[in-house]
Amino acid sequence: MAKRRVLPIIECTKLRKIFRTPKRMPGPLGALRSLVSRAYEERAAVDAVSFRLEPGELVGYIGPNGAGKSTTIKMLTGILVPTSGEVRVAGIVPWRQRKENGRNIGVVFGQRSQLYWDLPLIESFELLRAIYGIGRDQYRRNLDEFIEILQLGDFLRTPVRQLSLGQRMRGDFAAALLHGPRVVYLDEPTIGLDVVAKESIREFIARINSERGTTVILTTHDLADVERLCRRIILIDRGTLIYDGDIERIKTEYGQFRTLIVRFSEHVARPALEGAELVNTEDSSARFRFNRNLQRADLLVRQASERYSVEDVSLEEPDLESIIRRIYVEGYQSSSAENGA
Amino acid sequence: MRVRVAPYVEFAKKAFAREATYRMEVLTEIGSLVLRVYILRSLWTALYAQNAAPINLPLHGMITYATVAMLMSLILEVDGTRLIREKVREGTIATDLMKPISVPLYFFSDGIGQTLLHAVLVVPSLFCALLLVRIDVPSPATIAAFALSFVIGYGVNFFLNFLMNSIAFWTLETFAAQLIVRWASDLLSGQIIPLTLFPGIFGRIVFGLPFAAIYSTPLLIYVGVIPSSQWALSIALQAVWLVAFAAIASVVWRAASNRVIVQGG
Repeated sequence: MAKRRVLPIIECTKLRKIFRTPKRMPGPLGALRSLVSRAYEERAAVDAVSFRLEPGELVGYIGPNGAGKSTTIKMLTGILVPTSGEVRVAGIVPWRQRKENGRNIGVVFGQRSQLYWDLPLIESFELLRAIYGIGRDQYRRNLDEFIEILQLGDFLRTPVRQLSLGQRMRGDFAAALLHGPRVVYLDEPTIGLDVVAKESIREFIARINSERGTTVILTTHDLADVERLCRRIILIDRGTLIYDGDIERIKTEYGQFRTLIVRFSEHVARPALEGAELVNTEDSSARFRFNRNLQRADLLVRQASERYSVEDVSLEEPDLESIIRRIYVEGYQSSSAENGA
Repeated sequence: MRVRVAPYVEFAKKAFAREATYRMEVLTEIGSLVLRVYILRSLWTALYAQNAAPINLPLHGMITYATVAMLMSLILEVDGTRLIREKVREGTIATDLMKPISVPLYFFSDGIGQTLLHAVLVVPSLFCALLLVRIDVPSPATIAAFALSFVIGYGVNFFLNFLMNSIAFWTLETFAAQLIVRWASDLLSGQIIPLTLFPGIFGRIVFGLPFAAIYSTPLLIYVGVIPSSQWALSIALQAVWLVAFAAIASVVWRAASNRVIVQGG
């Protein structure tokens, strides 16, 4: 990675948020008791998380349910005060200057809409124009662009409550970006969408990021979103940051094992290759697992075609999903040095 | 810091448009009003036939009172801040807090927009009502005093609703509290029964409660029970309640938004 010269647009330093929740006592008597006297327990939703983003980065912020993703995003948007630690977005402390911060950011929640439910889509956009004080020209330009890319033309005058989920999401994206924010937080933006709609949303995110240089933090459970869009991911689990860096690096470290699939033109009883382990055989093909650091794929292919009559070969790279699942279970152990932030 | 007005004007406009989309509801509202005016007229006429007219309010004065109260309720029964309760429960208040706006001003302007739509309905409702009852029209000065008193009463009512709906920040559910306040205010505000009909010490207490500022003061000015010499005093008392409620509302709002910010909604 190049030396960091640019001022970070987002900077979190030892960010921590502790929630105090009433302790529930078991049983009906316990429920009565907790009405009168309450014991509290404290839980760190986010614990000493530090990271920084440069302008124009598109980062996947990943973690299982309850890992602290939303809590972090809430602190970045200024609606939640951190218990300790520091946070700055475009030079502003979000919770101190909530309104100023509001001008710099755009937010899309896949689960809830910020559009006016009863009114035609276009009226929500006009309302946002007034809220952000967007100039006529900029408004026109942005709106025209979004109508074209997101194909909003057909339902601009339809009340939002009558839109399909895919249409509503596209409307929400336009709404979040009309004022040209420098940072966009996307919380599960593709949840519940069909493959076509998912792809068009992903394309839009990529385009906004590359053409406008908008910094994007993407929170999602759909790792296909992340693989398609992000170079860098931040992994968080039980409130703590467990990985921050390139997706490729995590793949090389964790995904040493590739799979070679060989299809034979005749039946082979027990195929074997040196330097690879047979996983299974099915009809006339076999799957071999091998360590990419110890074994070259092309040599294995040559070996296979020397030994057997081979019709076809293909190679499977490790997928992010299985890697990340393993990290959640085993924890992250880096072989190389800590990622210098 | 300078407050930009444009967003709030837009909020009011959108609320107006949103209310207008429910056409059926609007028509039902006028219909039910006419029905209620008719019922009240019959009721008071029957009651007056049994008793001598109480406290210098003759039957036509009583019917005027009841009809004007009905028309006022078109505006005063709009719960302009119910959005608070809905947004807190659904969690969408978070997205509002992420915008460069003052959120209480947003609720206020949204409430004004809704109210204006219902205020427009007063005109056709009045014509419908006039088919059934005859109401007294007082002097222009009295109407002006009534109007001022009504506007202040609107403010008191608005903040009362605001406070009720803000309970949602703590309990999510506001039904019980609203039921109690609604019940008390129906009875004690003078909307249905003029407060002058309350007997003895009870009759004095109800005038000292904030509910009286909502319906009773403007209505008693309208029908002339409060003479012009006492207008200033009555309206001043209303204003005291308005200021007090506004102050409480601002304290509650601060606590509520802190709660959102600290607890995370």
